[in-house]
Amino acid sequence: MSGGDLRAARIRQTRALAGFLVVQTLAAVFFVGDVIGDLIADPGSVHFIFEALVTAALVLGVAFGAFALRRTIEMMRAQETALSVAQGELAQVIGEQFTDWRLTQAERDVGMLALKGLDVAEIAELRGAAQGTVRAQLTRIYAKAGVSGRAQFAAFFVEDLLGEGVRPATPVAPAAT
Amino acid sequence: MAASLPRSTAAAATAATPDSESGPRLWDPVVRVSHWGIALVVLFNAVLDQGGGTLHVTLGWIGMALLALRFIWGFAGPAEARFTAFPPRPVAALAHLGALRRGALRRYRSHNPAGALMAYALWALLALIMATGLIMTGGRTPMRVAEENAAVAAGDWSVLVKTGKTGEDAGKGLKKAAGEVHEMAADLILILVLLHVAGVAVESRALGRNLLAPMLAGGRRQ
Ligand code: HEM
Ligand code: HEM
Repeated sequence: MSGGDLRAARIRQTRALAGFLVVQTLAAVFFVGDVIGDLIADPGSVHFIFEALVTAALVLGVAFGAFALRRTIEMMRAQETALSVAQGELAQVIGEQFTDWRLTQAERDVGMLALKGLDVAEIAELRGAAQGTVRAQLTRIYAKAGVSGRAQFAAFFVEDLLGEGVRPATPVAPAAT
Repeated sequence: MAASLPRSTAAAATAATPDSESGPRLWDPVVRVSHWGIALVVLFNAVLDQGGGTLHVTLGWIGMALLALRFIWGFAGPAEARFTAFPPRPVAALAHLGALRRGALRRYRSHNPAGALMAYALWALLALIMATGLIMTGGRTPMRVAEENAAVAAGDWSVLVKTGKTGEDAGKGLKKAAGEVHEMAADLILILVLLHVAGVAVESRALGRNLLAPMLAGGRRQ
C-alpha cells in the first residue's frame, strides 16, 4: 500500500530530524558553556571569535531544526487525518475534533445527529428534549466550532474527507501557527 | 427516515463516547527523547555515580541540553507539546484529582492539569539542580572538569590552587550553600518522581488507557 510506504518514510524522516536536533542541541549547549568560559578568560582572541561564530551557527541550526521537525510532524498528521478519514474512521476524527472544541457530552450527541442530517424536530424527539433546547445546543456547538451554521459545520468535516487537509486542525485559532 | 433512526442514534451514541482520546496516541520524538534522557540522567546522577565526578558533570550537562530542547519545543513544537496546551493551573489540578476520586474524568488533549503541574515542578527542580551544580563547578564545562580531574589524578595539584583563587572565601560559602541545595533538591526530585510514576499508573487505570505506551514507541493504532 503506497499510503503505508509514505507513512514509513515520514516516520523515518521525523526520527532523523529529531536525532539531528538532539545532537545539535547537545553541541550548542556545550559550546555556549565553553564560549562563556572563554569570554571571561580572554574575549579578544581569534580563538574566541571563531568559536563564538560556530556557536551562533549551532544555535541558529537548533532553531531551524526545531521548525523543520514541527512542519514535518504536522504534515504527517494532516496526511494521517486524510488517510484515516478515507479508511472510514470519520466518526473517530469527528469525536477527536469535538474534544478539541470542548463540546459537552450532550452537545457531542446533538452534533453527531446534526451531522447525520437529522433536523431539530427529529433530534428533539430522539433525545426526548424540547426543540428549544436542541436549538440552543446547536447554537453553542456552532459557536464553539467557530462556524456560521449547519452547512459550514458539515462542510468542516467534508473538507477532511476530500483530503486537502494541510491546514491546522482547529480553524478557530489560526493565529497559533 | 423513521426506519433508519434507531440505527443512527446507536451509531451516534457509540461514536460520541469512546473514541475521543486524552493525550496524543504517540508523543513526538522530542518529547520522548527528552523525557527518557532526563529520566536516565536523574537516575544516574542521584543514585549511581559519584557527585562532582567527570561522569556526573557530563551527564548533568546532557540533562541541561535536553531540558533546553524541551523548553524550545514548548514554544516551537506541535500543539500538544506546547506549554499553552497544558498551562499550570493549581485549581484545575485539584479539581482533576477530585474528579479522579469520583471517577468522572474529563479528557484533555495534552497532560491532565495534575500531570501538567507535576511536569512543571519536575522541570523547576531540575533547573534548580543544574543551576546549583553550575555554581559548584564554577560553570566549567565537562571537558575542563575532565582535564582538571585527570591532572589531579596525575599528581598535579596546581589546578586546584588556581580554581581556589578565583573562588576566594566569599565564593566558598556560596558553593557550600549551593551544594546543600543541590543535594536536597536531588532527594526531593526522587520523591516527586515516585509520585509522578504513581500518578501515571492511577490515571491509566482510571481512564482504562495505558498512558505509558504513547511515551514509549508502542500504541500507535490503539
Ligand atoms: C527521573 C525520572 C522522571 C522525570 C524527571 C520525569 C519527568 C516527566 C515530565 C517533565 C513529563 C512531562 C513530559 C513533557 O511534556 O515533556 C513526564 C511525563 C510522563 N512521564 Fe515521566 N519522568 C520521570 C520518570 C518516569 C518514569 C519512570 C515513568 C514510567 C512509568 C514515566 C512516565 C511518564 C508518562 C507516561 C508521562 C506522560 C504523562 C501523560 O500522558 O500526561 N516517567 N515525565
Ligand atoms: C539531574 C541532574 C543532577 C542530579 C540528580 C544530581 C545529584 C547530585 C547528588 C545527589 C549529589 C550528592 C552526591 C554525593 O554526595 O555523593 C551531587 C553532587 C554534586 N553535583 Fe550533582 N546532580 C545533577 C546535576 C549536576 C550538574 C549539572 C552539575 C554541574 C554542572 C553537578 C555538579 C555536582 C557537584 C560538583 C557535586 C559535588 C558536591 C559536593 O562535593 O559536595 N550536578 N549531585
